[in-house]
Amino acid sequence: MKRSGPFRLCLAAIAMVIPAALIFIVLFLAQYAWQAIFYNGVRFVGTINWSLGNLYANPVVSRGYHVPIGADYGILAFIVGTLFSSFLAILFALPVAVGTAIFLAEAVPARLRPGLSMLVELVAVVPSVVFGLWGIYVLAPLISHDIGPGITAILGFIPFFNINNSTGSGFGLLTASIVLALMITPIIATTLYDALLQVPRELRESAVALGATRFEVVTKTMLPTVRVTLIGGVVLGLGRALGETMAVLMVSGGALNYLPGTIFTPISTMASFILSQLDSALQDPTNMAVKSLAEIALVLFVITLAVNAAARVLVRGATFVRNL
Amino acid sequence: MRSDFKLRRSTLLRAGAAALLVTGLGAGVAQAANVTLVETGSTLLYPLFNIWVPHFEKAHPGIRVTTQGTGSGTGIAEAISGVVQVGASDAYMSDPQIKQNPDILNIPLAISAQAINYNLPGLNNRHLKLSGPVLAGIYDGKIGKWNALAIEKLNPGLKLPDHKIIPVHRTDGSGDTFIFSQYLSFSTPSWNSSVGYGTTVSWPAVPGGLGAEGNPGMVEALKQNPYSIAYIGVSFHQQVKQAKLGKAMLLNKAGKFVLPTAKTISAAADQLVGKTPKDERISLVFAPGADSYPIINYEYAIVNAKQHNAATAKAVKALLTWASTKGNAPHFLKQVEFKALPPAVSKLSAAQIAKIH
Amino acid sequence: MSATFDTKGKRSALETRRRALSAAGWVLCGFAFLLIAVPLLDLVLTIAIKGASAFSIKLFTTSSNGVKGGLLAAIVGTAVLSLGALIFAVPIGVGAGMYLSEYGQNRLGSVIRFLSDTLTGVPSIVLGYFSYITLVIGLGWQFSALAGSITLAIMIVPYLARITELSLRRVPITMREAAYALGAKDRTVAFKIVLSAGLPGVITGALLALAISVGETAPLIQTAGWSNYLWTGKLTHEPIGYLTYVIWTFINQPYKSAHALAFAAALLVMLVVLAINIGVRIVLRRRI
Repeated sequence: MKRSGPFRLCLAAIAMVIPAALIFIVLFLAQYAWQAIFYNGVRFVGTINWSLGNLYANPVVSRGYHVPIGADYGILAFIVGTLFSSFLAILFALPVAVGTAIFLAEAVPARLRPGLSMLVELVAVVPSVVFGLWGIYVLAPLISHDIGPGITAILGFIPFFNINNSTGSGFGLLTASIVLALMITPIIATTLYDALLQVPRELRESAVALGATRFEVVTKTMLPTVRVTLIGGVVLGLGRALGETMAVLMVSGGALNYLPGTIFTPISTMASFILSQLDSALQDPTNMAVKSLAEIALVLFVITLAVNAAARVLVRGATFVRNL
Repeated sequence: MRSDFKLRRSTLLRAGAAALLVTGLGAGVAQAANVTLVETGSTLLYPLFNIWVPHFEKAHPGIRVTTQGTGSGTGIAEAISGVVQVGASDAYMSDPQIKQNPDILNIPLAISAQAINYNLPGLNNRHLKLSGPVLAGIYDGKIGKWNALAIEKLNPGLKLPDHKIIPVHRTDGSGDTFIFSQYLSFSTPSWNSSVGYGTTVSWPAVPGGLGAEGNPGMVEALKQNPYSIAYIGVSFHQQVKQAKLGKAMLLNKAGKFVLPTAKTISAAADQLVGKTPKDERISLVFAPGADSYPIINYEYAIVNAKQHNAATAKAVKALLTWASTKGNAPHFLKQVEFKALPPAVSKLSAAQIAKIH
Repeated sequence: MSATFDTKGKRSALETRRRALSAAGWVLCGFAFLLIAVPLLDLVLTIAIKGASAFSIKLFTTSSNGVKGGLLAAIVGTAVLSLGALIFAVPIGVGAGMYLSEYGQNRLGSVIRFLSDTLTGVPSIVLGYFSYITLVIGLGWQFSALAGSITLAIMIVPYLARITELSLRRVPITMREAAYALGAKDRTVAFKIVLSAGLPGVITGALLALAISVGETAPLIQTAGWSNYLWTGKLTHEPIGYLTYVIWTFINQPYKSAHALAFAAALLVMLVVLAINIGVRIVLRRRI
């Protein structure tokens, strides 16, 4: 067979468009954020004061760059908001996803399986802005009036879980985390479900022969064999949670410059902050604010890149496209 | 002459392209209007623009205006970048911005005011008395509860609840934030030195403080959160009334507590409009005078004097001229509790509108 | 005999405990399933009920003036943006998928695969920000259908490429070999044999990509803008409305009419997204 004809080259060129687009985006962001990276230094990720400075006074020269007086770009609060909400989301999603996957793969009669597993898959396709709408309309009031006081009644002696230490609006860390958890549970659950169905019959039969109950077979012999896939699914979900914008923006309360003191306190994440602050940043005649936003985009990009690369290494052949 | 010819050619080309497109798409698509203007920005001005536009379009067939309430920050930014033709803003542009973009005009269309609203169960029918320093204390976290001494002192006889205050601020770049933070800056030196004023300010960290998007978002946030307080443009007075929220009396420069009414807004305007410079960039906040309401401002159209083409320039001029004259009629402005421009300011605005080409 | 009986007695005590634990385990698993299924059902029901009550003929025949009215402009805009995205994305995505499946079993192929998956993982707001700076401002297109479509296309191309690759790979090797044996050229094999056999999979991919575009919001806010008016056919220099914008901004308006429109828009978006996803899954399962 010929190794390369004009047709193959042509297809290869088309295929190269995808990596080229990705590389162009990274290089562009890096080039655009260059001055901000030098101006901000490590303070960028190490301090929690994000201030555009006095936009109504003449810019001054600070650390070698023209910036508004008092301009300071520290995104630690948003990094904490992003990581904390994603971490809580994983914490909620993991047990639910494992239980759901076991339920679907082992407890449900084969006849019902396609319908019920489709139900779980459909959660993953709900657009994030619709999740946000539901979060505003249903979840936030529920947290403010029922779940929040409930948690306080049980764990209220720990200040971090006491709704009375916050303003109790229902918009904040917990609400954002629950919405994120809903979005990523199906990702983890379907990854695990697929893996459980692949476990060889012999393994299961030998465990049954040793006198294990069916549940013990699942938890003690099957789950360990799919452990790596499960971790991969979790990391995949983490990637989604870290970059989620709309749903988080709609229910997180839009905190600025403080760390969450309770799980009911408002937060901001890096992705939601980029969207909500672009217009403000464009007010800065020196452009340092917009460039600092580009730096946030770059940091977010690097984090999700690392997470997704990790997921791919863990789940062999993992793609974001499930083999339907 | 030459530029005239160029313009005509480009209009011709455009018309040709449009004709091609229309034929290409078939007769199903309605005949395109000649010029589409995009207005974006201030959510305070947005309700008025929505009232204006149908009347304006009726008087000027061939011009269509799309409106968006995105916040004054967006209005200024996108008028500068040329993404929109008309930016709406409650804030005038800063000196550095003007220096960088000398072609951008700040044209007042009306006079507006801002109310301090709150949701205090049981007390929303009473007008709480508040001052700049107390509001600064609430927004920088030094005053955390409604029954704090500083608030009780201003409101003797009121039974204030022992509950945390939820200060709500705008997350988008906002002219309301601009005039509110100006009130705090002009009345409270410590706020001026630590936070200052702007369309976006670095809000001091008040745990539990909420961010809201636009004036509509502020009303929603108040509705949903008892014990919250927010600054809201008067054009939302109907929504505020429907939601049964409270409205505060504010301490003015002369030491009197006043509500935003037609009389107090006019009184404040009378004090300062005479000082309006040619480019019309001036703050009307914290005016002297016993009757003056302290937070009033010009509602600006932010417009590039150099438009894309003659047709667009003509349409922009028509819109702004209409808005600052016919649009200033009481039956329009009354619906949003705005005040008409005084004749002297109308003249300055007309002179600026004439510069658009 | 008695010894056996004894051990059996002991075992049954242990076994009761184990059985109880197992039963509890199954109940917990069922509960976990409910934890994910109930919110979905609540979400669908809430949106269906609140959205359907806002449905009327006016909703589909008039456009919104900002707080009330209909959704015509937004519906048309969503259709234009999503189909526009497909026009850009399908040739590139299918071409790339074909390369990966037919000739991509090499180092270049795995690099493309890896970077393509990485692009899928890039938060959509980062893409929106990128397009705002480059297309809207940089090229001076302003908020426009073209800027919005291209941004959506960048998002969905990697999905399309990978779904195409997966479905073309399922076409049996023997079919290709038979064609090559008959003297067919690369191009003939790729299009006439492989692509026509794998076409249902490719169409599936395009439909799923369409569902993604219809539901996307964040990148469009910075690229397509928003317009109250029906799209006039201009590709650049004219903002365009879309349904997800209605959901996100109108729910923050203090008007009942605006809330109703937000839910109506959410219902329309959900109908399209769910119809595509459920349809695709049912058809695929029936074939397998």
